[in-house]
Amino acid sequence: MSLSAPTRFGDYGGVFAPETLMAPLEALERAWLAFRGDPAFMSELAALLRDYAGRPTPLTPARRLSAAIGAEVWLKREDLLHTGAHKLNNTLGQALLAKRMGKTKILAETGAGQHGVATATACALLGLECTVYMGAVDAARQRPNLLRMELLGARVIEVEHGQKTLKDAINEAMRAWVADPHESHYLLGSALGPHPFPSIVAEFQQVIGQEARAQILAQAGALPDIAVACVGGGSNAIGLFRGFANDVDVELVGVEAGGEGIAGGRHAARFAGGSPGVLHGAYTYLLQDADGQVRETHSVSAGLDYPAVGPEHAELHDRGRATYPYATDAEALLGFQALAKLEGILPALESAHAVGWVLKEKDKLRRKRVLINVSGRGDKDLDTLRAALGQQNPGGAT
Amino acid sequence: MIDRLQIRLSALRAQKRCGLAPYVTAGDGGLDTTLAVLRGLDRAGVACVELGLPFSDPVADGPVLQAAAERAIAAGASFDRVLDLIARFRREAPEGEVPIVVMGYANPLLRRGWGASCNALAEAGADGVLIADLPVEEGAPLAAAAEKAGIAAIFFAAPTTADERLAAAVRLSRGFLYAIGRLGVTGARASVDPAQEGFLDRVRAAAGELPVAVGFGLSTAEQVRAVAAHADLAIVGSAMVDRIHRAFTAPGGDSESAARAAEDFARELSKGLETS
Repeated sequence: MSLSAPTRFGDYGGVFAPETLMAPLEALERAWLAFRGDPAFMSELAALLRDYAGRPTPLTPARRLSAAIGAEVWLKREDLLHTGAHKLNNTLGQALLAKRMGKTKILAETGAGQHGVATATACALLGLECTVYMGAVDAARQRPNLLRMELLGARVIEVEHGQKTLKDAINEAMRAWVADPHESHYLLGSALGPHPFPSIVAEFQQVIGQEARAQILAQAGALPDIAVACVGGGSNAIGLFRGFANDVDVELVGVEAGGEGIAGGRHAARFAGGSPGVLHGAYTYLLQDADGQVRETHSVSAGLDYPAVGPEHAELHDRGRATYPYATDAEALLGFQALAKLEGILPALESAHAVGWVLKEKDKLRRKRVLINVSGRGDKDLDTLRAALGQQNPGGAT
Repeated sequence: MIDRLQIRLSALRAQKRCGLAPYVTAGDGGLDTTLAVLRGLDRAGVACVELGLPFSDPVADGPVLQAAAERAIAAGASFDRVLDLIARFRREAPEGEVPIVVMGYANPLLRRGWGASCNALAEAGADGVLIADLPVEEGAPLAAAAEKAGIAAIFFAAPTTADERLAAAVRLSRGFLYAIGRLGVTGARASVDPAQEGFLDRVRAAAGELPVAVGFGLSTAEQVRAVAAHADLAIVGSAMVDRIHRAFTAPGGDSESAARAAEDFARELSKGLETS
């Protein structure tokens, strides 16, 4: 067998994939190991990130939010990256890798649509054919992103089975890859799936944490006490956390989607409500029933609506290096409104979970230096927000 | 028990014959329907039955088997009830010695534990187990648990499998090796890939004494005949599941008509395997 890098993070991860995918996974690992050490490849990627994507993204002091909650809040602005979310860091990296491997077709899944848009963008830039699988429920609630993908030249296939969300889009993208492993590369959008995807995606996203660390040292003169990010599959969070991996005094907090609350079961909080199991190629925390069937999830945000979590987070959780609380739909909406009205930033509903958790825990965070990763912008969520806030209190308390 | 499977496969090899191994999703149409179908397939004289343990996210399966798994889960086909189905089949048809190999995905077995799962399968009367998302890299715990329980752990070879991996799959497999006849998910295809014969011969050469089953894409007697010279077992899945489902849901359809449809189709497919 020719997988050569470690496939696990502690007990988690691994390569639970159909046999047909093993050869393409091995080839991907080989290419990745070759190119991550290749200065020409890395400088080409760095140039794309700088000149095309807009890196480095700013670190913004959130002055009014800080005053409102009595903490010192800093925002890492991945919402300002081209296409409006951190996803482009990974899609440029993987698309470049795929091109170097001689692939001509890119397959991708998308939940909120941000990864789909970032994939379609990278494919347009690099001249690759692009097909994106999107659950029909997500396609309905993230219509602007579906249109964006099509305008960028991608073919979008709506997935009509299962729960019709991100999980089912991944199933379908994996099936498409199984059928055409020679020509196509599966450009997985989060730090999940079989090895080597969790490692590849984390490496392409760790630029977030590396930049944020240098920026906060320069601008605040000190490291944060706490670094906070939302966790769906977990790519923006692992990208942030890796920048502070060796800073043991920096508390790492990944905020899951609490949906309508844990007790009723309508949520996507894998650590609060799940247990270890295998989905999409990795052994990790998973929402499942007593019989090992994967449970349905719920979140107001399509990007967090996923029943498993990246395996590196499972290891960080068990080791106690990071903690994984949750914010409910309602708390995320409060986070959204706070950032909108106090800082003039419309965050993605995903990122709003991180803000919502900070608001909820403001008493514990008093006088602390808090770094929040604003993983994406909220333009795509306007329909969802109109519906959700219309039912609540549109003028909105903050 | 692994013996039941090995005796059947040794007999086929001695006669230089390829046997038919239909796949059915456990609990599609209800577990009583599957029980009747198992009896029907046994009457038709199939060499082995692959019994699918339904899973919510079957990434290696095409639309027909995905839909069957969804129906089966909705109809209550839990792991315990599938075990009970196997036990009932063995108890109520003691003369029925058709080997049963349970095919599933890792998570439901992992949830119970590899050891407990294999012991329960053996106790119920299953003869082997194969897991679609368990390559040899992750397969050692299952192989050890199956060995201990006395059932066969079966691994896969695909057209993309290099010789080194193929050798590892042969070493780890008991009973037979499952050759995935073509790239892609499960499901009927109009034709057999012409490159398939070369692939099957490569697998058979590597497998030596270990029998080889071929599956994915076979749906007609003609296709079964085309692979018969290159394998010990021919697996027909989606086409069989589709026949059973259509018979069960037809006007006036019930468990017995589903079983008759399975039996008739198995006899039709077996014609492709008659020695000329």
